[in-house]
Parts: sequence; C-alpha cells; structure tokens
Amino acid sequence: MTLLEAAAALRRREVSSAELTAAALHRIERLNPSTNAMQTVMAEAARERAKLADEELARGEGRGPLHGIPIAVKDLFYTKGVRTTGGSKLFESHVPDHDATVVEWLRGGGAVLVGKTGMHELAYGITSSNPHFGAVRNPWDRDRIPGGSSGGSGAAVAAGMVAMAMGSDTGGSIRVPAAYCGVVGLKPTYGRVSRYGAMPLAFSLDHMGPLTRSVRDAGAVLNVIGGYDPRDETSSRRAAENYVPDLAPSLRGVRIGLPENFYFERLDPDVDAAVRAAFHSAEARGAEIVPLPVPEIAAINTVARLILMAEASALHERHLEQRDLFGADVLALLDQGRLLPATDYINAQRLRRGMQREFARLWKRVDCLFTPTTPITAPRIGETAATICGLDEDVRLATTRLVRAINALGLPAVSIPCGADRRGLPVGLQIVGPPFAEALILRVAQALVPAEVPVPRL
Amino acid sequence: MSKDWKKIARASGLTIPDAALERIAQSLDALEADFRPLVRALPPESEPAVAFHADALPAEWEDAE
Repeated sequence: MTLLEAAAALRRREVSSAELTAAALHRIERLNPSTNAMQTVMAEAARERAKLADEELARGEGRGPLHGIPIAVKDLFYTKGVRTTGGSKLFESHVPDHDATVVEWLRGGGAVLVGKTGMHELAYGITSSNPHFGAVRNPWDRDRIPGGSSGGSGAAVAAGMVAMAMGSDTGGSIRVPAAYCGVVGLKPTYGRVSRYGAMPLAFSLDHMGPLTRSVRDAGAVLNVIGGYDPRDETSSRRAAENYVPDLAPSLRGVRIGLPENFYFERLDPDVDAAVRAAFHSAEARGAEIVPLPVPEIAAINTVARLILMAEASALHERHLEQRDLFGADVLALLDQGRLLPATDYINAQRLRRGMQREFARLWKRVDCLFTPTTPITAPRIGETAATICGLDEDVRLATTRLVRAINALGLPAVSIPCGADRRGLPVGLQIVGPPFAEALILRVAQALVPAEVPVPRL
Repeated sequence: MSKDWKKIARASGLTIPDAALERIAQSLDALEADFRPLVRALPPESEPAVAFHADALPAEWEDAE
C-alpha cells in the first residue's frame, strides 16, 4: 500500500494508525535481521504516537495525508531524545535535544516515526556497508548493496517496512539507493527543503528528500517538508506549491532532453535499453523528445568532488586525530580533502557558477532531461570495481558518475524505476529539471511509472 | 607534474601516516589532472558560488539576542 492509499484508508476508517504502525513494526522485526535497513527502531514511541493520531482522527482533527502514517528517517536527521549517529562511531552516543526541521514538520503533519535507517558512515559513500553498524543489504538480492548513502531508507521502502523514508543527497545519495532498490527518490532543488538539524556532509551540496514507492507519495511528502525555514541560511523564500501530480497526467507539450553526450557513454547494455525505452514511453504519452548536447558533465563532476572533499574535511577536521573511529574508505576521502589548498576550493566554486550559467541555457530548449541514474545495477557487497563495456571502473565513481553534477548545480531530480536487468535487478531513470521545477518532474515521472512501483517478494 | 603529497602533508602539519598518503596519492593526482585545466580556463571575472551577505544573520542568533 502506498502512503496516499494508506491515508485514504485511514480517512475512511478502514484501518487505524495503530494497525498500520503495528504492521510496520512487525515487518521490520521480520525483515530487519536480513536487510539491516533500520538502525534504530522506536517501537514504543511509535505505538504511543499512533494512538494519539487515531484519537485526533476520531475527533476530526486530521493534519493531512501523513497523519497516522508510519515513516522512517535516515539516521542523520536529529530526533529529540533519540540517538542520531550519522552512521559514525564518533556520534554513537549522540542524543539530540531537538528535532531537525524535516522531522519537526513531518511530526507536525501527524506522521508516526517508527525508526531511523542505516546509512553509509557520515553519508560519505555509496555502499551503506557501514563498518560500525553493519552492511545494509538490498531487498532484491541481499548479497548486493542497496546503494547509498541513504541505503537503509531505500531498503526499508523497497522491503515494505514503511511507505516513506527520508534521505539526504550530497552526490547522489537519494537517487542511487532509489535506483538500486527500485523505488522513487526525490532530490529537491537546493534550498527547497531545510537542512537544519540534518548532520551535514558538505554544506553547499547537501539536499534532503524522500524515498517512496510511488511518485505521488514523494509529492505528498514534499508538500509537508518543502518551504522556507529561517534556521537554514540557504533556505529559499520561493513559495512552495502542490507537488502531488494527477493520477494519469498527460505529457503533451513537454519537451524532454535526450543527452547526445556523456550520459549514454559506458552503460551496462541492460541499463541503456531500459532507459531508452523510457523515452519511447514518454513519446507515446505525448512528449517531444529533443536530442541535444549537454555541458561538460565530467568537468562539473570534478568540481563537485573537489567541493565535497574540501567541505567534508573542513567539517570533520577536528575529529581526524581519532583515526581509529573511521572506516578506511571515509578516512581516505577525509585525508584527501585536507590536502587541497583553499585556492582550489574557491576556484571550484568559481567554476561552479559558470557551469550553472551554462547549464541554465539548456532549459530554453527542453523542460527536463532524462538520463540513467546509474550506469550499472546494484553491485555485490564488497565489490570495488565494475566492468562496464569492457573497462574496469571504481564502483563509487561509476555509481555517482551520472548523478553527482546535479548536486553542484542544485537542480531538482527524481529517480524512478524503469525496468530491470537480466538478473531482475532494478534500473533507475533520472529526470532532471530546472530550479524549483519539482512539480514538473514529478508530473513526468507519474506518467511513466505504475501507481505503486514493483517491490520484491519477501 | 604530480605533487608530493607527503611533503605537502608534513608542511601543513597534518598527521597522516605515510601508508595512508601512498594509498590516496593516485586519487589526488587524478583529481589534480582533471581540475587544473579547468582552473587555467577560468575567466578572471568569475565570482565564486559562495556568497557572504553582510546584512544576513542566522535566525537562531537573532533569537539569542
């Protein structure tokens, strides 16, 4: 059942929040030992909150579509009185005294928080194979990674533990697990969703967004978490809108960009075929496909990596004397960032501005871009290299190759499932739009995916 | 020409073990090779994407006053 279907059932009194919450907790109990999607389960607090939600609903005090719905958040969102580790040994005993804005607004909308999802250490990686809290496993094949860094959120949603889990995305960390787990992952425009109270990785690249089993659910969540927050200096004052698309929207008049360079180079053939099929589906629904060259994405990726390394290392420098508290991969990245001169960081931010301007020209010709989310499907746990078109590529760099630039540009993007590879593993389609065009990319996405995305039988 | 990351680390007073530096040197060299040509092509009038606003204070600071 999707979030909005559950909400409708609640309103019709066909089910109670207590029952939905009990079902979520039961599924977590059954499937968490094999997936490790949930790092912290808040069973007692969730039952109490669900009871309150039912009482409010009985009094006719509905707070909206999230009222009484069990949800989860990545374990980097501050939760008052509940441990928030960021997947790090450094913060294993950290209990915040306040909620992140996103958590506060979700709770205000009546959502029932059942747990905190596992993640890559410090959100700095794409495997979610956490050395301190264990590897999160992909529900489609538990020998494979769910992607990351919001791997627990992707796995929890795909496994049907919750209808929505919040993630964060600094270089693909919502879209990658969405692609590898076969769910919907929305990275809104930078500034659309508050970062306040979410443990940062890189201030100018961090984005917060939902992972769901339907596009409309992602829109419903953005309706609650999107908007101006004075506690986040980069929060946009631009008015939020209704982000829930119609059930069967038309794509007539929508111009979809088909990148002629970069995005379709070096793809697994199954990924290539699935994504190209999505163009045909969109065309059949009335969209106009516009082949066009895109700016130098490899250069934007380089700039994004440099900014990420510098910002993340600046943030964690004070902890770096405690080297044994870090996993090897994260420590290596943090060490690299410390060796970059300040001039490189400033120049990367100067290049970023120019690239933003250059990319903006694209939106005169098209309304959105379709690209694969990842060039491969979910790799096996522990795999460090992937062979794509006969060439070996580092799994982390391959996985982020098609998503990282979008963080530097701050653009909204959604990953939706668009088929499967020869092993039955999900393939992700990334839809990128101009700044604050979340409603548009969700409308396009809704036209292409079923009401609820297929999930593994568990 | 690749940079001597060990010397840079020592000159910066960073306590990164030599073995760790050897492991990350290749990755840093690759980043350097990709990044340096971009900087060389950067027009002088380009402003950074990070902006400081003299009239803006975080809301929680205002609350604290």
